Amino acid sequence: MSANNAFATHEGAMIDLRGLRKSFGSNEVLKGIDLTVQRSEVQVLIGPSGSGKSTLLRCVNHLEQPSGGQILVAGELVNRSDLKPRAFQRHLNRIRTHLGMVFQQFNLFPHKTVLENVVEAPVQVLGRSKDEAVADAEELLAKVGLADKRDAYPVSLSGGQQQRVAIARALAMKPSVMLFDEVTSALDPELVGEVLRVMEDLAAEGMTMMVVTHEMGFAERVGDRVIFMADGNIVEEGVPAEIFSHPREERTKRFLGDILK
Amino acid sequence: MLDWSIIIHYFPFLFKGALLTLQISVISLILGLAVGLAAALSILSHNILLRWPARFYVWIIRSTPLLVQLFIIYYGLPQFGIDLNPFWSGVLGLALNTGAYNAETIRAGILSVPKGQVEAARSLGMGSSLTMRRIVLPQAMRLIIPPLGNNFIILIKDTSLVSTITLVELTLTAQRLIGSTYKPFEMYLMAAVLYAVLTTGSSLLLRQFEKRALKGAAA
Repeated sequence: MSANNAFATHEGAMIDLRGLRKSFGSNEVLKGIDLTVQRSEVQVLIGPSGSGKSTLLRCVNHLEQPSGGQILVAGELVNRSDLKPRAFQRHLNRIRTHLGMVFQQFNLFPHKTVLENVVEAPVQVLGRSKDEAVADAEELLAKVGLADKRDAYPVSLSGGQQQRVAIARALAMKPSVMLFDEVTSALDPELVGEVLRVMEDLAAEGMTMMVVTHEMGFAERVGDRVIFMADGNIVEEGVPAEIFSHPREERTKRFLGDILK
Repeated sequence: MLDWSIIIHYFPFLFKGALLTLQISVISLILGLAVGLAAALSILSHNILLRWPARFYVWIIRSTPLLVQLFIIYYGLPQFGIDLNPFWSGVLGLALNTGAYNAETIRAGILSVPKGQVEAARSLGMGSSLTMRRIVLPQAMRLIIPPLGNNFIILIKDTSLVSTITLVELTLTAQRLIGSTYKPFEMYLMAAVLYAVLTTGSSLLLRQFEKRALKGAAA
């Protein structure tokens, strides 16, 4: 629990990226990103596809291994090079319990019921008792409006319902930060709202969030800070009103012009 | 005309042979699954000390006949002081043989589980073995139970080759009874029927497993 407390009481930036670089072969996707996310801040990353925003998000919990730079979560270095492979894996597993992630394709475990999906990691990873984890899971499912689906299998749910379960599953670990990777991009348009509403509630509760999205309305309404990325660089960042109403950079104007017309 | 009195009289002997065939099949099945899983995980491992030997094992078994493998184990190994009785020679040969085919089946099943499943598990702090055990293998099972069942049916029929290393299972029982009865058709027919009972029974049992493993899968 001491590690948990460190995350709960950390006073500096929750996420701090310093000179983050990532290449796939000869293709440099992130070209030295510096970025800070404060506690309870909702930071929204926007930009054209291929700009590197998803890769950036996936580097934070080390689903992608960065090629250079530093990633600090609650002041702790994620991409340590001083650990042997097994110790490094344990280090990553521990940090990841504090970073909830929601994916574009939901990635619910299809062989488990909704409740089992939510309970799996708290029991298997955190070693919590089944009863306690189930009680928590039921509360979370109620919160995302799916209490009645606890015994359903993911295949029988709509995309929007699956994504809300995925959010509950991530929240069940009581993370300090939530990472959202284009979570509405695979949804039918009429199902986008129900997922965004859950995220909006979370933001209102003070959750620290990094959100990669194409939903400009959400970015403007919920974001504390908007980061516009293109070609592996941060082109412009600021409060939503500023970015959306008075973009300074030509590249930003062009992107917003394309997307909002 | 079939000689029914011979069939009725000798059925218990053949039934006993069939029980031995069943026994050797089940033990080889279990060992073959363990060997197959270990080989599949080794082949998928990053560690070349695991990967290369496992690849070699699968290659050598699949490129040589089971009959020769059994002869090497039963007649060849005693030269090196490894002297197994016919039963365990048979089990070893069959388990290694079916294990290599199982390894290929299991490997393909594991690879068919979408990468996003592993990423979701990892993002929740699950380690690699926990992810394999709780998330990947149960999903791979759905796809690999039918081909594994097929391997098992082949295994049951392949046990007849163990008759060549003097284990008196179903086929050798039939052969020996022909020596005293001079009724090859009746004896081999009974053996064939008993093999069919074993393989069909196994198929039905496997179908039940399959149904259980399929919960939550798309219709």
